[in-house]
Amino acid sequence: MADYQPHTRKLSLKVVYYGPALSGKTTNLMQLHTLLRPQRKGELMVLETRDDRTLFFDVLPIGLRGAAGLDLRLKLYTVPGQVQHDSTRKAVLSRADGVIFVADSQPAQQDNNANAFDNLADNLQKLGMDIERLPLVVQFNKRDVADAVAEAELQARWAQTPWAPLSMASALHGQGVVESFRQLLVHLYPQLDREYRLAETEGIDATSFVRLLSAAQGDADA
Amino acid sequence: MRSFEDDPRLAELLPDERQQQLLHLLQALSGHTLQLDEQPRPGAEAVEFNLETLGWLSCPSQPQLQAAAARLLEFVLFYVGKYRLAANLHHDASEASFEELQRQHAALQASEARYKALSAQLQRRVEEQVKVIERTQQQLYESARLRAVGQLAAGVAHEINNPVGFIASNLRVAGDYLNELGEKLPSDHATALILEDFRALLQESEVGTQRIAAIVTDLKTFANIDQEDFVPCDLNALIASTCHLLRAESNQALDIELKLAELPELAGYPAKISQALYNVLDNAAKAITGQGRIRVTSRLGEQGAVEVLVEDNGCGITAEDQARLFDPFFTTRPVGSGTGLGLTVARDIMVAHQGEILVRSKPGAGTRVTLRFLSL
Repeated sequence: MADYQPHTRKLSLKVVYYGPALSGKTTNLMQLHTLLRPQRKGELMVLETRDDRTLFFDVLPIGLRGAAGLDLRLKLYTVPGQVQHDSTRKAVLSRADGVIFVADSQPAQQDNNANAFDNLADNLQKLGMDIERLPLVVQFNKRDVADAVAEAELQARWAQTPWAPLSMASALHGQGVVESFRQLLVHLYPQLDREYRLAETEGIDATSFVRLLSAAQGDADA
Repeated sequence: MRSFEDDPRLAELLPDERQQQLLHLLQALSGHTLQLDEQPRPGAEAVEFNLETLGWLSCPSQPQLQAAAARLLEFVLFYVGKYRLAANLHHDASEASFEELQRQHAALQASEARYKALSAQLQRRVEEQVKVIERTQQQLYESARLRAVGQLAAGVAHEINNPVGFIASNLRVAGDYLNELGEKLPSDHATALILEDFRALLQESEVGTQRIAAIVTDLKTFANIDQEDFVPCDLNALIASTCHLLRAESNQALDIELKLAELPELAGYPAKISQALYNVLDNAAKAITGQGRIRVTSRLGEQGAVEVLVEDNGCGITAEDQARLFDPFFTTRPVGSGTGLGLTVARDIMVAHQGEILVRSKPGAGTRVTLRFLSL
């Protein structure tokens, strides 16, 4: 849930990278940190443990300043994917404005994807959030592995859900990461605009919202 | 409530004391005095943490130092903040887990209590059912036993009836023969004495045979178990035969006084009414233990009800026992000598005859049992 403080003109948003263990949530965030050239970008905070598994979360703060002085902040979080960290996952997920679900394309991981998605739905419900109304992008990562489930099959499988079309990525190689993030920003903007009149009073339209937050290295207008 | 991810203020990440320590170290390294404020100050360098400006660092004597010092400060704050965020999240998550555990614990306890109550209830019902089964079994056993006894009695009565008949008839014929013999024998004194003695013997045998015949009749009445429908009963006759039977069964002489009024005939099962009378009389006989008296009165009571009163001056019944008189298997007698069914059966029989049974007793003074057949 977006948090707006009128006296400082600060609007804080939260996007959470969710998904099964080892699906590449932290890799997504690291690539964003490398690739993104948003108007404002903070330090990537990675709280990994000895074996490089996420125990608490990772966070990357980015932001933009609107023409009318709005201080818009977006914190990108990852959750720990391992099953046993559910209470941590729930705490990080609470008050999220958008979710990017990072699924694993390897055939053997399809059950884990489903379990993690159920867990996401479950936790959203416990937190009083409506999965149908939450901006949610489903990314199938690891497209580079040799036996990845075919994209056509995945798209067909998800075609009847509100989350089609799926986003494809190979986070390790930086492919699809920024695109997934942009897709989420596109979903996120209408809700924010409705509540905070971004276009009308802050001079931030949908295009500049996406551009200012997700300008990437090599973009013409970065 | 603050969430783990709320942007911290400077003092939350670095207490004043630590800030001063840090500034002193910077001063020692640079040789210039530095100042850190939470409020903006002209020309000062912003110190950021996660895009949030936490404070303003200024070095009036050497402003070009400010930027590097601020980055150093941010570097320190980054690691402090990282730890703080993780710690706060851990705290939030642990608390949420704990609350969840407590909720589950409470739910489990509630469910356990429900199951305990259910189990206790089931246990009670099982015990009740077991009691019902035991009672029914005992009643079945008793009724089967009574039936067997009745059948045996009926069989015995039937078998005895024939020999008793011809013994009685033979005794009469023997008396006639004795008279004829007496006329043909010499009339001396010794012969007369023998004949007189002989006659006395025969008479005694005849009286004995009559008694046997009477007992057999009583037994037949008592054991009349197969009668399906109500038949007209002579209550006084039933009382008399039941008293005979009781006397015959009892080892010592019983002092039973009968005060029987003239009664209309009663529709009922004679065998069952005899059974009820027998059970009540048997109790009276056991209460007086051979020393007291029993009085049996029959009379026409109010509204045409026929009443039989069985009174004794025996030991009486305590108030506590009176409350349980009709409970099946309640008995005060030693194990094996009483079934605890006597009055239960008597009451059932009275109910079957649209009647009732009333007991009044005073410990040490005696007991009065009233069998009342309500007029239809």
